Amino acid sequence: MSEASLIGLFVATVSFGALLYLAALGELLAEKAGILNLGVEGMMAIGAVTAFIAGVELKNPWAALAIAMASGAALASVHGFFTVALGAEQVVSGLSLTILGLGLAAYLGKDYVGQPPGAELVPVQWSGLSDLPWVGPIIFKQAPIVYFALLMGIAVSLVLANTRLGLALRAAGESASSTDSAGHSVLGLRLGAVAAGGALAGASGAYLTLSITPQWAEGLTAGRGWIAVALVIFGAWRPGRVGWGALLFGGTLALKTRLQTFGVDFSPIILSMLPYILTLLILLVISVRSRKRPSPAPAGLGFAYRREER
Amino acid sequence: MTRRPRLDLRDQPLVGGQPLAFGIGLAIALFVGTLLLLGAGHDPLKVYSRMFEASLGDPDAWAVTLNRAVPLGLAGLAVAVAGSMGLWNIGAEGQIMAGAIGASWVARIGGEWPGLILITVMLIAALGGGGLLALGPAVAKAKLGVNEIITTLMLNEVAIRLVQWLIHGPWKDPDAYNFPLAPMLPEQAHLPTLFSRAHCGILIAAGVIVISSVAVKYTAWGYELRIAGSSEATARYSGISLPQKILTVLVLSGGIAGLAGGVELTGTADRLTETLSNGFGFAGIIVAALALMRPSGVAVVAVLFGAVQIGGQSIQTLGVSSSVSTILQAFVLFGAIGAGVLSRYRILFEGEAQPAPEAVDK
Repeated sequence: MSEASLIGLFVATVSFGALLYLAALGELLAEKAGILNLGVEGMMAIGAVTAFIAGVELKNPWAALAIAMASGAALASVHGFFTVALGAEQVVSGLSLTILGLGLAAYLGKDYVGQPPGAELVPVQWSGLSDLPWVGPIIFKQAPIVYFALLMGIAVSLVLANTRLGLALRAAGESASSTDSAGHSVLGLRLGAVAAGGALAGASGAYLTLSITPQWAEGLTAGRGWIAVALVIFGAWRPGRVGWGALLFGGTLALKTRLQTFGVDFSPIILSMLPYILTLLILLVISVRSRKRPSPAPAGLGFAYRREER
Repeated sequence: MTRRPRLDLRDQPLVGGQPLAFGIGLAIALFVGTLLLLGAGHDPLKVYSRMFEASLGDPDAWAVTLNRAVPLGLAGLAVAVAGSMGLWNIGAEGQIMAGAIGASWVARIGGEWPGLILITVMLIAALGGGGLLALGPAVAKAKLGVNEIITTLMLNEVAIRLVQWLIHGPWKDPDAYNFPLAPMLPEQAHLPTLFSRAHCGILIAAGVIVISSVAVKYTAWGYELRIAGSSEATARYSGISLPQKILTVLVLSGGIAGLAGGVELTGTADRLTETLSNGFGFAGIIVAALALMRPSGVAVVAVLFGAVQIGGQSIQTLGVSSSVSTILQAFVLFGAIGAGVLSRYRILFEGEAQPAPEAVDK
């Protein structure tokens, strides 16, 4: 295999990694606050379609990204309303959100299928750095949203670890009643985390239609939302580890279409099972180890909180 | 000071709350659907009457709706059986595929067998395939306490890719001009029809649902199951082996979902395809939730939900995008989820006294 195709593989790995990372960070935020959101796929689809439409109509990629994030947050807030405010089952509401998001995206985008993009997030040129061999194209010549994903990863990790807000948010996911007793609004923290998570999933979808594809078609998200759900577990609910996991899973997505050009006789379909199988293995390792140390999963994940029932 | 609303648990769930919830969901969906249809320049009345005619209007329409209710009902039952013990089987989608793989495998080796034997063995293999896919999550949950929501969810993606791999590789039909298609099923592997286009799957589904309802409601096994679901501690004190219960219930749940795949294959499909599960597994979760995890309620919800789906498909011939029907389904769901919560809770405003307990006429 040639040097160029190998570089191409790594470029795609970083770019798919950033795509997955954004969505997984969003899911991580919601889960850290105690809310499982299985609607990632739907939120990504809404982000993808609104970004594309805004790109065509406004011709500005940054406005398109902002609109996609706002749409993702708005859709996520439906899940927030039902699970946080009403205390409905998170699994059922999340799956319904996937159906709603995919349906809405198809409805909104039906006149835009196959159209050329109106705006794109073009790769950044860092003077000097972008021309370096290997690291230049792989790290310093990516679409701006890749650096945005990295920034978001650092920001989420700092906020969760070092701020009062992050502490309160994690507390809401571990023990909602004591967070409430400490004078924090569990409702506000959880709604906020779910909405922020939706914004990140929306950004992830926008990356598809503003840079990777860049077109709109039904089913564009192609199950990547589920990989994001898996990533949060794979990375044991830690923003840093989720990032490395995103690169690994992004690598399998990048490799999938290149197996043949590399002359590797291995089924790309079997390869695409890898993220899920690795996540299952990690789950087993976590649970075997958690007999000695506490599980990394937020203790209150999946449980509704109603003050009267504590 | 503004008075903030809060939810207060009712002493008794509203009588008829769940049917009411489904009705409210449907009403909200019709309202939103009307707006969407008007927005797209369609006549809502015409569209809705078409939906009704195509799904429940005459025996032919009923036949199609019932055929759709079969996989929905079996998948819903699978989720409800696990749910009556407080377990979430999110993997019905994959287990349907695993069941279809098992049934297709039998059809490959038993192409010459007489129909009744072939179909019976296919359905048993489907049961086994689904159960096998659920075995891993079942053991992990029973022995190690691994969250079954995530394991079953991950295996969905694995099972669907397994089907893709089979029809792109080892099971590819050599006569299909190099298209990635599995071979057609033998002629005698199709379920006989009952009336119009309705196949016998509805009898199989009804039978399995009745047996499961009785088992969960009236047998000692089912009683233990429900105790284990409501309180782990009580179950342990009364000597119920939780790991063993978890294991059997999850494998059984997977088997029922697998059966849905087998029936769908022999009933409505010509061959194994990667779209066979068609979202039935996820819809099953919603069917079970609307039926409050009661196996007996699953049948009714499955027929209603089947009608919504079939009606939704039919309006594509009027030029209405299929996405409208997807959105309608989502609104039925959210409307029902919200109304379901409100049938168990009432809204009070802060500072407002709790009303006197409702009179219970029993």
